[in-house]
Amino acid sequence: MEIADLPISTSHRAKLLAAGYSSLAALSAASPTRLARDLSIEIQEAEDILKVAVGANKSKGVDGLSTSSVIKGAQNAWDMLSDEQSRKHINTGSADLNNILGGGIHCKEVTEIGGVPGIGKTQLGIQLAINVQIPVEYGGLGGKAVYIDTEGSFMAERVYQIAEGCISDILEYFPYCHDKALSGQERLKPESFLADIYYFRICSYTEQIAVINYLEKFLQEHKDVRIVIIDSVTFHFRQDFDDMALRTRVLSGLSLKLMKLAKAYNLAVVLLNQVTTKFTEGSFQLTLALGDSWSHSCTNRLILYWNGNERYAYLDKSPSLPVASAPYAVTVKGVRDTVSSNNSKRVRFLGMLSGANWAPIFEH
Amino acid sequence: MAAAGSGGSAGCFPGPYPTPSGEEKNQDERQGGQCLLNGMDLLKDVTESKRFLPTGLQGIDALLGGGLRQGQLTELTGQSSSGKTQVCLCSASHVAARQLGHVMYLDTSNSFSPSRIARIVDGFPFSLVKLPKNVRLERVMTSIVCKSVFDIFDLFEVLHQLELSLKNKVKCGNSNICLLIIDSISALLAPINGGKYPRGRSMMMSVAMLLKKLADEHNLSVLVTNHMVAGNGAPKPALGESWKTVPHVRLAISRARGSNICTATVLKHTLLASGRVMKFPVPS
Repeated sequence: MEIADLPISTSHRAKLLAAGYSSLAALSAASPTRLARDLSIEIQEAEDILKVAVGANKSKGVDGLSTSSVIKGAQNAWDMLSDEQSRKHINTGSADLNNILGGGIHCKEVTEIGGVPGIGKTQLGIQLAINVQIPVEYGGLGGKAVYIDTEGSFMAERVYQIAEGCISDILEYFPYCHDKALSGQERLKPESFLADIYYFRICSYTEQIAVINYLEKFLQEHKDVRIVIIDSVTFHFRQDFDDMALRTRVLSGLSLKLMKLAKAYNLAVVLLNQVTTKFTEGSFQLTLALGDSWSHSCTNRLILYWNGNERYAYLDKSPSLPVASAPYAVTVKGVRDTVSSNNSKRVRFLGMLSGANWAPIFEH
Repeated sequence: MAAAGSGGSAGCFPGPYPTPSGEEKNQDERQGGQCLLNGMDLLKDVTESKRFLPTGLQGIDALLGGGLRQGQLTELTGQSSSGKTQVCLCSASHVAARQLGHVMYLDTSNSFSPSRIARIVDGFPFSLVKLPKNVRLERVMTSIVCKSVFDIFDLFEVLHQLELSLKNKVKCGNSNICLLIIDSISALLAPINGGKYPRGRSMMMSVAMLLKKLADEHNLSVLVTNHMVAGNGAPKPALGESWKTVPHVRLAISRARGSNICTATVLKHTLLASGRVMKFPVPS
């Protein structure tokens, strides 16, 4: 095996060769510090290279399509399956909606939610920012939320109301535990729910690009954030962008960044989008804004629409779930099931809320 | 000379090209350009080692003459939610289930869904994998390897690593990677493509060359997905004219909203007539 065949990064390989390390023997004789100095890289990196080199010496001829050996950081689907099954989803507040989403909004995925003005996009966004904070012992994720507001539609009073609604539902479902768990009671205050939403107000597309770039650093410092909501991703890009090709490039770059953040920090990214009309096959139809290229850039796509007087959600795109639609309602408490089906489904909503953790609590 | 008896010895020109000792026939790869092939050798190589990897979707397999060909780059293009990812996930599970080799899946849009694969595998008839359900699920799923890639430089890094690993493992004779899926390549290329700067385009072409080299040298079948963008009138595949020449096979997929029947159209094929259309259902 030669230096050229070592499974290390191309830049490291180039540096090694440039520094005169032409054979594995020469490399294995070097110490990490010397290597780091010769290549002007971090000691840590030098140690990694040496580890790889030693490994390469040993593993010659040993069978190995063990997953990590082919490509660093790759995982096989079997491991990913168990990882996925252990993951919790973020409750939307409506059982029917959770149903078509396979349990709720998924972490590690980017979900786009779009619909006509007044359909409840922002309501759903706020609901998610609240529901992500439901403590683990009540079947939630116990995470925090980042809310990036581009339109100025985030109303703190309404958030307070929705938080109260969420708490009253939790207490209704867990009647026994709130008198014993005082510390939990402390956290079940609308104030603490509001305090755990990080709010960014964005006034131009430049700021939007900047804040998405900054998110990486922010999330490093706030590892307990489980959801990032952008309300809406569209607004500024629809207002003041002339060069459409450039807009497509910028947006697809942003979407890749968000994908990366979702995966790396195990959080859900929810992008709210507006609608536009599109002329296809002789008629005007409503579709989500930002064009065809953008439509590829989310993992899931949920479209909210009116069906008579009822609000409906339609799962338009998902890699793992079938296309489906479900009714939902926006009430004083927030997003809930529609009233007509409320009685029978109330239990189901709370059942989903409880997740796997309710049994031990109920023993008391 | 070991190969002398086998008629195939004509494959090497005598003289300036030194014939390596006999074993080059077994290794079937044209390594380092030491040996030029004539048409007969190529034909033999093609019929022996360039398998068609079935996607498990009958409509597509019929269109492609059996499936995704090893050594070739196949492109799936279609609008959002037309079923591209489903075809990728199906092909991955099918190839893994038939034990044709390992599958490398590069995911750019967090759409690789293990639970979906598990459901597809569960739906396979018993005759395909003669193992009890729980064992076969693990067997199939461990031979699909996934890696998330979020920018073009990541992709270069991963492809170079893959090339190195393949180079070192060819000699071990293990079960090798036979299918490389990139879903979707246009998500990586879209942010750098277009505009005034030619750099994006040249990176795109380097990716293309790298993929084709991998496909050819390591007998991989490469499957990539591409977006559709609004053209003048009808939607057309993204990435423009220069990418058009890259894939050996180009397949367009479409699906009516709400239905689970997909329509596939051959836009380009190296062997078979293009323009043929087939309908196929997406497995539930």
